[in-house]
Amino acid sequence: MGPLVVNGIISENTNLLLAFIIGIGFGFVLESSGFSSSRKLAGVFYGYDMVVLKVFFTAAITAMLGMLFLSLFGWLDLDLVYVNPTYLSSAIIGGVVMGAGFIIGGFCPGTSFAGASIGKIDAMVFIGGLFIGVIIFSEGYPLWDNLYMAAFKGSPKLSESLGLSDGLAALGIILAAIGMFYVAEWAEKKFPREEY
Amino acid sequence: MQARVILSISIVGLGLIIAAVPQNTTHPYKLTVSQLLEEAKGRQQFFSPDELADKLINKDPSVQLIDVRDQDDFEKFSLPGAINIPLTDLLNDKWKDILDQDVKMNIFYSNGSIEANEAWMITRQLGYNNLFVLEGGLNYWVETIMNPQKPASTAPNEELARYDFRQAAGSALGGGGAIQLAAPADQGRGAKPALIKKPGKKKASGGC
Repeated sequence: MGPLVVNGIISENTNLLLAFIIGIGFGFVLESSGFSSSRKLAGVFYGYDMVVLKVFFTAAITAMLGMLFLSLFGWLDLDLVYVNPTYLSSAIIGGVVMGAGFIIGGFCPGTSFAGASIGKIDAMVFIGGLFIGVIIFSEGYPLWDNLYMAAFKGSPKLSESLGLSDGLAALGIILAAIGMFYVAEWAEKKFPREEY
Repeated sequence: MQARVILSISIVGLGLIIAAVPQNTTHPYKLTVSQLLEEAKGRQQFFSPDELADKLINKDPSVQLIDVRDQDDFEKFSLPGAINIPLTDLLNDKWKDILDQDVKMNIFYSNGSIEANEAWMITRQLGYNNLFVLEGGLNYWVETIMNPQKPASTAPNEELARYDFRQAAGSALGGGGAIQLAAPADQGRGAKPALIKKPGKKKASGGC
């Protein structure tokens, strides 16, 4: 039957509609898991609330399993799926900057909009900061052009780097994620916090 | 049993299945129809006879000529260094290593350019790279390189230079242009064709 989208079994427009529905589902899960609270996000850092870790890792392994099974049935060509290219140094520096912003602001870009949409003022301030950051980055782009483009690694997959098949790597990630979930729940009991 | 235990077990179960089954490595289609149309419209695949002659004279090792006519025709006449992959036999597994590679420029040719173009479209659709078509095929090759027409003496210099080049190339490649001319075989032509790259995919942004 071939890739569903490429062969027109799912049309371009239906594809967009599905993306819209999946996006709303994702937003719904974010909001209903309490992600619009900045304390919830900061909780990952302090160890009293690991919901963020659990939700995002669940999303990752669900998507991973879904894509592998779709590929197995021949409904999806994994080679056609866009993989963000890796620029190692900017990934590390950007990760540190974003992580710091996460702890200080208590939001990540997506959840700040979720928070702002239900009227949280700290989320709106966070969005303001986000735009200041965007302006500084884009206006000063020539300054960090070299750094931004340094250590280009292409679009490597974890399975390729480890020399495993996609399925084996997926199993490893699932086991690691479930291990992490149990460690996270242990941490929640270890560093409890009342009333947040 | 707790819900989380059931959930953990079922996810690990799915993981075990996906780890145990062989990976699906068949890729029925690599290019979308509209991408292919875009490339065909851009005529990026065409390789002019002059460029090819230049490369053949310089014995450019990156050129791999592929004759898509049938075997009889191939044996009667073929371009130097060409291999014969008849169009009807194109999808045979034994040609896969030659067609699906990233090192050489595969240039298809036939009598005209229709069959070569068909071969190009099929192999492009399979997702192979570095594929070209000899513009106008052998007919145009014979017309331009083997028996070039002398332009009028009032023609622009470029045309006269091109004629000299074709004469020299024709005789070097065993054509009918009998008169030996010591014309330099370069006129800045034969600029390397840009290797066809897949059109950049749309950037998707992820994250939370």
